[in-house]
Amino acid sequence: MSKYGSRSAFDLEWIERWARRVNEDRVLPKLSRFFNARFVLGIDDTDFLLEVRRGKIEKISEGLEPSDMGYEFALRAPSSAWGKFSQKMPPPMFNDIWAMAHPLHKQLKIEGNTLTFWQNMRAMHWMLSLMREV
Amino acid sequence: MNKHDPIVGRYVYINCQGKSYRTYYEEAGEGIPMVCLHTAGADGRQYRHQMCDPDFTANFRVIAFDLPRHGKSIPPDGWHLEEDEYKLTTAFYSEFIQEFCRALDLVKPVVMGQSMGGNICLELALRHENDYSALISLEGCDHSPGWWIDPLHHPHIHGGEAVATSVFGLMAPDSPDEYRWETFWYYAQGGPGIFKGDLYYYSVDSDYRDKVHKISGKVPIYFLTGEYDFACTPEMTMRTAEKVKNSECIIFGGGHFPTSEDPDKFKEVVSPVLKKIIQNDPERRGGNTRDWSVNGATRGSGNRSEKRPEGRRTIDL
Repeated sequence: MSKYGSRSAFDLEWIERWARRVNEDRVLPKLSRFFNARFVLGIDDTDFLLEVRRGKIEKISEGLEPSDMGYEFALRAPSSAWGKFSQKMPPPMFNDIWAMAHPLHKQLKIEGNTLTFWQNMRAMHWMLSLMREV
Repeated sequence: MNKHDPIVGRYVYINCQGKSYRTYYEEAGEGIPMVCLHTAGADGRQYRHQMCDPDFTANFRVIAFDLPRHGKSIPPDGWHLEEDEYKLTTAFYSEFIQEFCRALDLVKPVVMGQSMGGNICLELALRHENDYSALISLEGCDHSPGWWIDPLHHPHIHGGEAVATSVFGLMAPDSPDEYRWETFWYYAQGGPGIFKGDLYYYSVDSDYRDKVHKISGKVPIYFLTGEYDFACTPEMTMRTAEKVKNSECIIFGGGHFPTSEDPDKFKEVVSPVLKKIIQNDPERRGGNTRDWSVNGATRGSGNRSEKRPEGRRTIDL
């Protein structure tokens, strides 16, 4: 095992554990109370649709369906990248969504209405960092 | 008895490209003058730890100025009538450094800059090699693409929070929280459009890939880059250093803001460089000599397995 450690595979249950950790966080509400969005967390070929209202993740769905009527933005990366990102001590170039999304590295795609993403980036950043506590 | 930092701040008027700039700078120490250049969108506070550390100030007069429009250096008169957005250019940046050194009567100072301050060291080596005794390029390389983007200055996006969040991941996750979030704060305080405007220099107006081999080597250049820097990766710095004569390259276990995100680690990493500079310039050093230690680089990678279930499941929380 590397010095950065490792974790088990992602699945809906893992996403749920992360979502519950997000919802119980004591600091996030300060950053996320205006965060309302439906966004996709893409891991390999699976899209998880997350519905966020006032900073709380209210619903997570595995896969997209036409009746979802779309979403606002998506963060998609291979499980290998999310796996490194979510380690307790993430390795270089995987410790941050911008590190993974930077044109030099191209591990993460940020798609859709990126304005919503940018507007809520600080809250998003905090939420995603909680993956390291799942 | 109140505790004070040894830092003293003043304002000096710098004339550059036909305008006068009321420029804030701080300094501490005595000895070899060392002009410190902050990163894009930040200010000289990034060097506060070094200016308070006797291991720096015993041999160096450490000086950090705020570029115009940064920190406590106000924009030039009439900035509100400018017809184009703010863009830092190679010409202005390098001339301003030159004029600042002239204004303070600094003779052959050391310049230490990080990020865009590290990249401008290449310009100084190319065009003004006789004016400096050594260059320390922190997180510097010959080309840093991809950062001049509109969301960093957009009326629908909170500039301070977006800018600061954008750079947070450039820091090493094991750098102390206290200093990482202080660095975040510097960024959150930047003026509107200033970070983006600086990145015009960083990502657009400076491309030294076809120039660095022309650096003569007359002035030594020390490149130091942290392994978590995803804007200027260790590979980018090493590739640059390989082309620059009389240069050294040190890769260490840190991030893009070494002076402010982890000052203790930075001291360990830069101390051998400072020792060499002192040895090459014994007449000008301060009264004391310090015992410098060396820090090694660390590296590693992670991995994980993957699994994907079939069918759609939904959870209400």
